[in-house]
Amino acid sequence: MRIKRALAITKRIFRGLRHDRRTVALIILAPVLAMTLFGIAFSGEVEDVDVIVVDHDGSDLSNTIIGNLDEQTLNIRFMDSEQEAVKKVEDGNAWAVFVFPEDFSQNIATKNAVIHLRGDKSNVNVASAIATTLREAMTETLTQAGGEMPVSVSESPVYGEDAEFIDFFVPGIMAFAIFLLTTLLTLLAFVGERTSGTLERLKASPMRDGEIVLGYVIAFGVIGMVQAFLLLIIATVGFNITIEGNPFLAYIIVALLALVSVNLGILLSAAAKREAQAVQFLPMIILPTFLLAGIFWPVEAIPSFLRWASFAIPPTYGVEAMRSVMVRGWGLGEIWMELVVLLAFALVFMILSVKSLQRGKG
Amino acid sequence: MSQGENGLAVETRGLVKKYGAFTAVDNLDLKIERGETYGLLGPNGSGKTTTIKVLCDLLKPTGGEAFLLGKKVGDNSIAPRIGYMPQETALYLDLSINDNICLFGEVYGMSRAEIASAEKELLEFVDLTKWRNTPVSNLSGGMRHRTSLACSMIHNPELLFMDEPTVGVDPELRASFWEYFETLGKRGATVVITTHYMDEAHRCGKIGVMRQGKLIAEGSPQDIIQSTGCGSLEDAFLELARKGGHHAD
Ligand SMILES: Nc1ncnc2c1ncn2[C@@H]1O[C@H](COP(=O)(O)OP(=O)(O)OP(=O)(O)O)[C@@H](O)[C@H]1O
Ligand SMILES: [Mg+2]
Repeated sequence: MRIKRALAITKRIFRGLRHDRRTVALIILAPVLAMTLFGIAFSGEVEDVDVIVVDHDGSDLSNTIIGNLDEQTLNIRFMDSEQEAVKKVEDGNAWAVFVFPEDFSQNIATKNAVIHLRGDKSNVNVASAIATTLREAMTETLTQAGGEMPVSVSESPVYGEDAEFIDFFVPGIMAFAIFLLTTLLTLLAFVGERTSGTLERLKASPMRDGEIVLGYVIAFGVIGMVQAFLLLIIATVGFNITIEGNPFLAYIIVALLALVSVNLGILLSAAAKREAQAVQFLPMIILPTFLLAGIFWPVEAIPSFLRWASFAIPPTYGVEAMRSVMVRGWGLGEIWMELVVLLAFALVFMILSVKSLQRGKG
Repeated sequence: MSQGENGLAVETRGLVKKYGAFTAVDNLDLKIERGETYGLLGPNGSGKTTTIKVLCDLLKPTGGEAFLLGKKVGDNSIAPRIGYMPQETALYLDLSINDNICLFGEVYGMSRAEIASAEKELLEFVDLTKWRNTPVSNLSGGMRHRTSLACSMIHNPELLFMDEPTVGVDPELRASFWEYFETLGKRGATVVITTHYMDEAHRCGKIGVMRQGKLIAEGSPQDIIQSTGCGSLEDAFLELARKGGHHAD
């Protein structure tokens, strides 16, 4: 093993980028775009939901509840006819109708007061935002009236105080972007190496298979780190994400994940004869990672019969470790297990990718 | 001459290479002396490239043995001493000529100064000095071939395998290529070349004719012509190709 020969490979990958604007654009723009788009799309809570209030009661009580509805979440209109209001929902012009019956305030005394909610529940997120807003308005009204719920929950978060959904998924997106892009870039570069015959040329030289792999690991590892840096900048500057833990530790996770990905890319290249075939692997990488790695849905939300698959793919550990460091502020002492698993994946993939270079000798 | 197990640059004994059930190299016994310019001839698909790849340890032989410079193929000490120019161009298109050459120089462990002086000489020889910093993707096919040739010789190998090095190269340059190959021979290097050009075959010290993975004739160009009783190497070659019934009319 000569590090100099490996570095010759690394150098040529970077030199190649000087003339390959398309790949450079992919390296820089892809993470920037991914983070920006996901950030914008997911940073907002549900807002401006059109609802219609039909207040047959017209009492102080109903007015107070209506006044307590969060106007950021709901766009409230008033109508007199329940039928017309429901028609609006049926036509897709509103998400829900709140109906206060004539006897609403009278029935409070007998504890039979009911607000009728006629909603379009086809969108789960919108429906739950409507229900939550209404419930909050009622609780608030009750409190204002001097009434108290017999039980209350006093919350003081252990982790993730002030954490919003974006804080939850940014570490996931980072791990995902690094995993996907590194695998893709390596795959494309290595398929090129195989199809052009340069790999054969290298193999006829004193270059060892392990040195070729190492050269790729260093090059795409560095590229992965640069991408991670870009992602972190956008997340912190653009979306006000705070990194609770040590950013350096986050970097170690990214590096390990990149190490896994480079070798996965080399492995996959052995199965692809052309670049076009390599691209066909993409859904095979993207889908399971997206669905199973816990980026948007916690692994706990995956049916138990499928959960083993989550634990069988490397990004799951990257996402988990990343989230622990960035949101929980955990250190090496808490996430070492994930790091060890990632390292094990990296070693196994590395051995396999070196082996894959020896195969094909026929 | 350096000492090996024996004096030969290339030796194969009963070499066999199969792709699945198909036999591409069939019981090949080759002996190539050091310092020789050896031409490997044969129709398309006769197994020339496969033979070279087995010798360069890029393919595992199915049977038999092969030795280069007295060492069994697979021995780590062989690679630094041999050069290989593949049939396809096999260059990094995104890199300049200079970058390609430097990469292979570094791969062979040469210092910067060594690379610089070897590169200068080679670029003059392949007549690409003024294109030195041009990306290979912007070069013509023949120029790429010349670059590829320079890359395979940067480390001044003792034994050089060249798979159709002159395809697409213009006649003037081809002539100068052959002068250079002859100079290499005089310096003691062994050159193994495949070609489909008979005028090139004429310039080889020895030629071997392959057909269906077998060596069907071997000797100096004169020997080959005499043994077939033909008037020219071209006719001799056609005669040999026909004899086995492979190219029967
Ligand atoms: N990877 C492979 N898998 C299966 N068959 C192969 C493979 N490579 C070569 N062959 C077959 O082996 C035979 C010999 O091929 P080879 O490339 O060695 O011929 P060649 O003498 O170099 O021909 P050419 O003059 O066209 O370069 C051919 O019939 C070819 O179809
Ligand atoms: Mg060939």
